[in-house]
Amino acid sequence: MIDRLTAALAHSRADYIEIRVERTWSTTVTFRGRRLDSATASEDQGGFVRALHAGGGWGVASFTSLDRLEAMVARAVELSRAVPVDPPIRLADVPPHQADALLDLDGDVRGVTLAEKKRLLEAYNGAMLGVSDRIVDTLAVYRDEVSESWYVNSQGAVLHELRPDVTLSGTAVARRDGTIEKGLESIGMRRGWNSVQDKAAGFREVAERAVELLDAPMVKGGTYPVILDPELAGVFIHEAFGHLSEADFVYENPQARAMMTLGRRFGKPVLNVGDNGAAPGLRGTLPFDEEGTPTQDTALIQEGILVGRLHSRETAAAMGERPTGNARAISFRHAPIVRMTNTYIAGGRGSFEDLIGDVKLGVYACGAFGGQTMLENFSFTAAYGRMIRDGRVAELVKDVVLAGNLFQTLDRIDHIAADFRWNQMGGGCGKAGQYPLPVTEGAPHVRIEEALVGGDVAA
Amino acid sequence: MIEQLVDLARRRADGGADALWRRFERTTVAFEWGRLKSAGVTEEAGANLRVRHRGRVGVAGTTAVGGDDVGAQHAAPLLARALASAELGDELDVVFPARAPLPPLTTFFDRAANASLVDLVRVGRSLLARLERDGCRVNVAIERETTATRVANTAGAGGEYRGTGFGVSADVWRIAGDDVLVVSDTLEGADVPSDEALAALVASINVRLDQALRIAAPPEGALPVVFTPAGLSALMLPVTQALSGKAVLQGISPLGAKVGEQVFDARFSLADDPLRVGRTASRPLDDECVPSRTMCLVERGVVQRFIYDLETGARAKTESTGHGQRGIFGKPVPGYTNIVLNDVGAQHAAPLQLGGGLLRDIRDGLLVDELIGVGQGNVTGGAFSHPVALAYRIERGEITGRVKDAAVAGNAYELWKRVGGFGNDARWTESRWAPSVLFEGVSVARR
Repeated sequence: MIDRLTAALAHSRADYIEIRVERTWSTTVTFRGRRLDSATASEDQGGFVRALHAGGGWGVASFTSLDRLEAMVARAVELSRAVPVDPPIRLADVPPHQADALLDLDGDVRGVTLAEKKRLLEAYNGAMLGVSDRIVDTLAVYRDEVSESWYVNSQGAVLHELRPDVTLSGTAVARRDGTIEKGLESIGMRRGWNSVQDKAAGFREVAERAVELLDAPMVKGGTYPVILDPELAGVFIHEAFGHLSEADFVYENPQARAMMTLGRRFGKPVLNVGDNGAAPGLRGTLPFDEEGTPTQDTALIQEGILVGRLHSRETAAAMGERPTGNARAISFRHAPIVRMTNTYIAGGRGSFEDLIGDVKLGVYACGAFGGQTMLENFSFTAAYGRMIRDGRVAELVKDVVLAGNLFQTLDRIDHIAADFRWNQMGGGCGKAGQYPLPVTEGAPHVRIEEALVGGDVAA
Repeated sequence: MIEQLVDLARRRADGGADALWRRFERTTVAFEWGRLKSAGVTEEAGANLRVRHRGRVGVAGTTAVGGDDVGAQHAAPLLARALASAELGDELDVVFPARAPLPPLTTFFDRAANASLVDLVRVGRSLLARLERDGCRVNVAIERETTATRVANTAGAGGEYRGTGFGVSADVWRIAGDDVLVVSDTLEGADVPSDEALAALVASINVRLDQALRIAAPPEGALPVVFTPAGLSALMLPVTQALSGKAVLQGISPLGAKVGEQVFDARFSLADDPLRVGRTASRPLDDECVPSRTMCLVERGVVQRFIYDLETGARAKTESTGHGQRGIFGKPVPGYTNIVLNDVGAQHAAPLQLGGGLLRDIRDGLLVDELIGVGQGNVTGGAFSHPVALAYRIERGEITGRVKDAAVAGNAYELWKRVGGFGNDARWTESRWAPSVLFEGVSVARR
């Protein structure tokens, strides 16, 4: 394959050209209630070409028929020629790597039968259904894939990669009369079959919580000190801050650039934030990004001050900064764009108890059902919450929705515990039509001194 | 041909089979932050096969197909995977439909199919020129595509059609200090948009941007709130989810037992229309060989029926309504085509004015164009609570400025029971046709 790609490169005339070919094997098993909804195996393949002709914009081609490789290389060059750009696009230098980066498959999922995968998921689904007859419905999904890719560019990079990915998710729906509550379990790793064994306890736990939530009161809307558990804190930093640190948002927008000036204070000195594509074994982890740049640990906020951002080769060149290995694409169907990998709030000091000790009345917001950011505004739905009363965790509450302004909220983070952990979840990140991109988030318990919590909004 | 794949499957699967083959090619140009940045082409083809064997159903998909066909070397492994999937599958009494006449429908427009890169760039530049303004940055993307679809089953049904699509999207960004404002709009159709439609897109963005430059204090309380056609998503999503046969089967649809009942305001009607000429979702038959027909789901507030594909129809012991949607991978699922709210009144290419004439009698209220977090949480239940992304204060019948820190909440089913009014500004927002809608007593909170 590499020979074919280098031959195609040799025949093309462009200032810069890169070719990626991918082949992906995947299986998906889905249970809905007690019923197997589907069990399927799929094979996906295709190629991607991106070219820069002198003075031209990007010429891009993607295709599923590999017979079309040479024709599509020519087409990409032609397209670049057709869209002149002034000033021209420049790419920051990255030494070309030649590597066979074959990640540990950790029990190659391709060697496991569909029937075994069904049995595994049936057990986890059964763990949810077995909790109570209040569990009226479940949705359980097992998905795995192994993706092999070949990448070459005209500057001499030659990469051959093999990447596994395996995810499990479970939704338990509890119902009593008109009240419906749900619990959500999600596990995802850049590993294989061995890593998804013995996970029944987590599925059981979320189903138990869904049943408990039937009796829980709605949180009373208002402003509280809020403690985020590591899962919600991770989702928060990814959604609310991470996307602003992606340089394609700022590099050609002077106003955005001013808003995200390095050196600006974003939080109190306790706050340290980064993105680490090289952390071992996580879903956002890759040896190289989709432009062949090695991944790294990039500091974004240090002691409350904005110190860095995430780059592709193009955004780095435009801003006179260094590429960080964050140009990623979900598949050959898309061009690489600036994305996060494994984004984290670094561990601080002390324990969870230290965070709540002096809180008279507060909310402990746990897990995430979802979150959305519209630039400086965000809204997150916690899976559940607990009230904090007189320094102690008290009753379970539901419908905990956190909404606010990013800048104000980051600045109100006043205490970060030392209990850092990566949240190895499934799902993924969406941007510019590319979803789901495997990412991981990590955080310890985090305290926001004051945040708006809305269940129902009081009229 | 796909018929050969189905024939091959017939010999191995005792309960029949159906298949879909789809190819598309697309051209895109993107203007990023005000300048032409990239041009791209995409060519993709794939096949999806479903078999029923020993009473069990299995599915498999692949993009490893020849250019215009599912070659024999690809068909055999695809069938083997579908049969392996069926071995584990649930028992399902799905009946593949017999051949039936297809409605005539134009889905292919030469002008869109033949639009060149130069044509796309020209459309993009003209939009850019009309949207650029001081202190703002503009992104524009233009794309055109052609598709070819073939479906067939072992009962002799099938069909093929070609389609075209043309899409325009634009967003204008204004960042002032820490205040980020984005106003965007899209146009999507099967043919090249008319000059009037492009002018309407420009006007829609410019009007909303002009009105947003001034900031107004958010109101508070149970207030009249007008949702624009785009802002209406939070109120439409629970209804369309609840009208899906899938939700009914799961027992989570609040409308599940309400067919024939007056559940909504008597002025509320909802249909799904796969036969609208000029829409990209329109097609003569669905992805499971069922002929398309326009279907009324709610008529004058009374629930009429739910949408089903073959599988959910079989499980619910009813017929498919022709709503089978399938991609290359995975199994078919029930899905809407063009959702039409109240197909009456004038059809303007653009809002004549923001709010569609509903603002006049509002003393103090809100106009909501975009909310944050729609689709999160327990949507089907109907309760929603969302911060606003783009909303305006209405005072004495006029827009007095953009409201930043406010949230709206309510229950979609309760609100649809008593609609304050429908606007005269119905338009397409993606695949939904709707006007602005006024609701009384929506709870609005400051943050």
